[in-house]
Amino acid sequence: MAETRRVIEIELPSGDVAPVVCRRFGSGPFRVVIAAGIRGDAPEGIRVAHRVSSFLEAEEGRLNGTVDIYPCANPLAAHRGTRTWPFFDTDLNRLFPGRSDGHPPAQVARALCDDISGAQQVIELRGARPAFSEASQAIVRHDHAESAELASHANVAVVWRRTPGPAAPATFAHQFPGSIVLEGGTGNRLTPGVGNDLADGVLNLLVHLKVLPESGLPFHWAAIRRPVHVTDAEVHRVRAERGGLFLPASTIWSEVEAGECLGEIVDPLTGLTREEVRSPMAGNILAIRELPVVFPGTMVARVVTA
Amino acid sequence: MTVVYSIEAPYRGRYELHRLTFGSGSPRVAIVAGLHGNELNGMHAVNMLAAALRAQRPRGTVHLFPLVNTFGADEARKRWPFDDRDINKAFPGDPDGTAVQRIASALLDATDADVCVDVHSGAPHVRELPQVRVPLSGRELELGRAMGLPLVWRREGARLQASGLIGAWRDAGRQALHVVGGRGITLDTGHSATIARGLKRLLGHLGLVRHVDPNETVADVTRVEVGVHRAATGGFFVPEVRVGALVKPGHLLGYLQMPIGGDRIGELRARRGGVVVTVRAWPMVYAQELLVRVAGTDST
Ligand SMILES: [Zn+2]
Repeated sequence: MAETRRVIEIELPSGDVAPVVCRRFGSGPFRVVIAAGIRGDAPEGIRVAHRVSSFLEAEEGRLNGTVDIYPCANPLAAHRGTRTWPFFDTDLNRLFPGRSDGHPPAQVARALCDDISGAQQVIELRGARPAFSEASQAIVRHDHAESAELASHANVAVVWRRTPGPAAPATFAHQFPGSIVLEGGTGNRLTPGVGNDLADGVLNLLVHLKVLPESGLPFHWAAIRRPVHVTDAEVHRVRAERGGLFLPASTIWSEVEAGECLGEIVDPLTGLTREEVRSPMAGNILAIRELPVVFPGTMVARVVTA
Repeated sequence: MTVVYSIEAPYRGRYELHRLTFGSGSPRVAIVAGLHGNELNGMHAVNMLAAALRAQRPRGTVHLFPLVNTFGADEARKRWPFDDRDINKAFPGDPDGTAVQRIASALLDATDADVCVDVHSGAPHVRELPQVRVPLSGRELELGRAMGLPLVWRREGARLQASGLIGAWRDAGRQALHVVGGRGITLDTGHSATIARGLKRLLGHLGLVRHVDPNETVADVTRVEVGVHRAATGGFFVPEVRVGALVKPGHLLGYLQMPIGGDRIGELRARRGGVVVTVRAWPMVYAQELLVRVAGTDST
């Protein structure tokens, strides 16, 4: 039986306590960390963490190393289903590495960093960004070839070697340079199939890290997807030029030609077309907006060219 | 009144960025309020200043932006309601980016002035004595002191809000002053009037208007001269002082009690004398949270 440990307890003013927990499987110095729920609007990641846990629970005797699973790093936000931590209204994924003498979100960030420090591999599980459907993808730092190679085995459509933006230094993943971020599905929802695919991907990563033996996996290795590898230059953001309702005409990971219609923007009061949004190039749909209200400049899709 | 920027909005009228301009020529001053849609003491102060400038045309140019985040203000929200983004984190902005990036870019262009002021309220759960936050030295310190607000808070580089509108103004080579007073979600007419007088003194110092009101500064401090009182544990905080109160060491600032049953957990007593500049307004507090700040005065 896995050991369940409280990493930190958040004391609420009313007197209640909300714990952040870690479930430990196996033992030994080689340690893999799997963390989910940094934001409260990514239940897909939490589901994947639990699927992986239940598999490891049954296989614990065969583990060669330690797997620490943090199923929900931001319990109060998850409780409400919001991106930000309630009351303090802060995005935990902008507070790392945190501080032990700060407010509770900062304390949690610090406690997680201290707890995870020294792990050989960190895997962060997320859902899709709010308002979007996304193809399953692994995001690694652009200059980290080793984690990009490992991420090839994560059962995703795309490995995105991303250059850190201005907000990156305060994110969870950035604290651990070789970390792999897995995401996909739909913002703040569970999507049939996606959780299974990502859970299989995590188990396959554990095999490639030699923590888990290949025999006994709940899938055949040949079923694992072979992702395309892209950098920022191959990921194109498509924006609305008009405000209104964006009605998508494309589905996730479908192939599109240059100039193909990705959807239209209609006047919300009359339904008349204001704009046909067209793909700037040929490629695959990596993400598409599913919440229809848009302003001029709102991103409505991401297209990758391979 | 001029609409300096607008953007198409679904289901409602266009978003419009409004500017009121008084006078012409140099020097040029821009004053921004309501970047956060739930912090409207600054909006009230700027509108009071507008009334004064209608009566007395300035010798130079004054651009006023009473309310940037109109959509947020309509919903009592700090951020832009559509995607919950903070306009103040979108600077320098992008004319081809998202709505908040476009608004940020347009505001930065439209505040082309020698001296720029951004007025905020405190967070909804704290009340702040009207204050200006300035660097440790230089022209911005001189201008901030000229405002004569109750508190002049001199801050080290890293604490001066390097990002945001203030940082973008500095990057563009403009003098930038960060003013904070009162609390979010509420209108405090007294603090608003204090801020309006400070803005008028700034214009007076720059020679744009005749200034009459005497300086109101009580404390002019750096971080080391500010006593910060935090909650030792979570609980229900009952303040015994208001912002602006003068206290001596040992003065009872408030106490913490159990939320249910009301048993007293602890007392908060001033470690130093001075003026109370921050008081927690929302009583449910977490451990380590800020409850009261006391700034040293000349006499302490
Ligand atoms: Zn503000």
